[in-house]
Amino acid sequence: MSVVAQHQAPGRRRRSPLPYTWQRGYLLASPALLVMLAILIYPLGYSFIMSFFRWDLSGSAPFIGTGNYTDELFGRQFNQALRNQTIFSVVSITIEVVAGMAIAVLVNGKLRGMRLARTLLLVPPMIAPAVVGLNFRWLFNTQYGLVDALLRMFNLPDIPWLNHPAWALVSVIVADVWQNTPLMVLLFLAGLQSLPQEPLEAATVDGATPWQRFWHIVLPLMRPVIMIALMLRIIDTFRTFDVVWLMTQGGPGGATNLLTVYSYLLAFQAVDFGHAAAVSYIALGMSLFVLALLYGVPWLIAKRRAI
Amino acid sequence: MSGNLSRRKFLAASAAVTAGSLAAPWVARADAKEITALLITGGPLYPKYWEKIVQDFTAKTGIKVRYDLLEFTPLTAKVVTLSAARSSQYDVYSTHTAQIDSYFNHFAPLNSYFSDAELADFYPVAVKYLRDPKTGNLAAIPRNMDARVQYYRSDIYQEKGLKPAETWEELVDVGLKLTGDGHYGLVVPGQGDPAQRTFSDLLWQAGGDWVDQANKPAFNSEAGIKALTFYRDLIQKHKIVPSDAVGYQWNENSTEFSSGTVYATFDWPGAFATLSNPETSRIVGKWSTAPYVRDKAAISCAISHAMALNGQSGRKDPAVEFIKYTVGADAQRLQFDQFTNFPSSQAIAKEVIAAAKGPQATWLQQLETTIANGKEWPKLAGFSKVCTLMFSAIEQALSDQVSPADSLNQAATEAEEIMRRAGAYD
Repeated sequence: MSVVAQHQAPGRRRRSPLPYTWQRGYLLASPALLVMLAILIYPLGYSFIMSFFRWDLSGSAPFIGTGNYTDELFGRQFNQALRNQTIFSVVSITIEVVAGMAIAVLVNGKLRGMRLARTLLLVPPMIAPAVVGLNFRWLFNTQYGLVDALLRMFNLPDIPWLNHPAWALVSVIVADVWQNTPLMVLLFLAGLQSLPQEPLEAATVDGATPWQRFWHIVLPLMRPVIMIALMLRIIDTFRTFDVVWLMTQGGPGGATNLLTVYSYLLAFQAVDFGHAAAVSYIALGMSLFVLALLYGVPWLIAKRRAI
Repeated sequence: MSGNLSRRKFLAASAAVTAGSLAAPWVARADAKEITALLITGGPLYPKYWEKIVQDFTAKTGIKVRYDLLEFTPLTAKVVTLSAARSSQYDVYSTHTAQIDSYFNHFAPLNSYFSDAELADFYPVAVKYLRDPKTGNLAAIPRNMDARVQYYRSDIYQEKGLKPAETWEELVDVGLKLTGDGHYGLVVPGQGDPAQRTFSDLLWQAGGDWVDQANKPAFNSEAGIKALTFYRDLIQKHKIVPSDAVGYQWNENSTEFSSGTVYATFDWPGAFATLSNPETSRIVGKWSTAPYVRDKAAISCAISHAMALNGQSGRKDPAVEFIKYTVGADAQRLQFDQFTNFPSSQAIAKEVIAAAKGPQATWLQQLETTIANGKEWPKLAGFSKVCTLMFSAIEQALSDQVSPADSLNQAATEAEEIMRRAGAYD
């Protein structure tokens, strides 16, 4: 008699006509699997197929092999979007992780007001990215925005936040950092609070300075949490759309065009689904490649050391 | 019998609900006396307008219309998505001249539903650019005209002894005299489609055009470079336009004028109603209208909001009946009364112009002149994608990233390749 059957009270439930086999497991899971197929796998597969066709509502959709991919990889607009995406991802993730760790260490201390600070940290991640985008659009408006008004108060020159290509990219990075650094803080805070105290106490007894304790003990112990944080942010920055769309729509002149924004413009302005799908898959491939590097390189190093 | 829901009953009920929801669209579709429409909205009055149109249409024909309303940008995105999916969810779409070339294969031709006499009543510029140049098929029928005139602060101009600009030079001169103390002489949009529209007007005024006789890109001609240089200089050199305009679309453009910060702009017919309403304007009674400025020519865009029949529709006849009603005399008069939307029917336009008095009559005359001389960019294969390219090219020049000449030359090379690939020269 199986373990499951032993736990059943005799006579209370009818015995199922199906035996307890792996086929039955799949049968019971099939509704969920079907839903997954319909809403996740099918659109992914369909758009992947679409990326090999000239799919632009012109009636016919001829197969063009990797034409959409090569067009984009050698295209000026794609390369501009790729450059923006790289700067956006690298700069915003670096700031978010470094600032997130620093703030987490700070609020982990037993200082006055830290409980309130931790609560306030929940606010930015709770706000919808579209609202963040709109707020920053107005904050950075040269005529009416608060930021330039403050600069004028101190007799400093106005900064064309959203009108100058370089400042526009800085502005969308600032908005992203504002929204996502608190999330990093919360992740790191949870990690810090679960660290074993013995090594830290031993190091204190041995006369280690706070910086030595952080660098040689806390940071190595926090590595798994940092890796998860990095993974989440890498995936997220390659999906960023709302904030940029509402602040600049990728402008001026494509200066803040990220891969998602460029893909949207191709699909809904240029009505060119084939190229839009190709750009989406290049972006997906890039984020997977970066994640593979992130996890694969340390694994390879560890393996080599073990040999 | 137990009141508890047994697993068998639950599964049976779930199956019934699933089957019912799957069958519902077909059951609904079977009713030939009901059609579906995806219609444009914008502002608080539009829903009431469509409600009245639909009620009147149903009372007259017995055909029910189930409709959804969306603003222009989400509406465009939804029509693109539904067309790509070859959906028959809606029989009728609101559409626009701007992207009509993308739908030539998806909207059913309306030629056979309108007689030559009926078509002759619509403004020729509207009908011309709603046709597929390759097949001659009419992809949509114009519902109201979109053209721009100059709106200026008559009180400030009078105070400073100025007249509204008629030429490009005067636009700069007047703008310089009005700019200062947190105010600007002019506002123009500088982002996306609105930036392309503005460049397009200046291109035609400078004597240029989008393509040459062979349909090859010609917007990088001397006239094109002059137009984009003038456009950029309004913002970057003369500084008579707020620097934030590089990120402005139509809404921001209109708001800058209606809030009183800027003293002149070029705006659509809807602005006449918005600026006259104290709830949406701080300058009620302090503004007037004048013709659009000119350079070598006095040309600007004349486009139209239009109605289209979904090629996948299974109820084409009642759907066309609805389309005809929405572009008919009653609907056009109501549109004008409600939103001052300029009629697409020449007969109705004459009627409203004759009935108008004072500043409204002057404004309508100015609009009609713009429409009579108006143009639109070409509806060639691939031109929608060229537009996306142009947004970026114009914005790059306006924000001083590259020179107007470099920006337009680069865009022209890429545009030719895009149109060649899309079959514009086949």
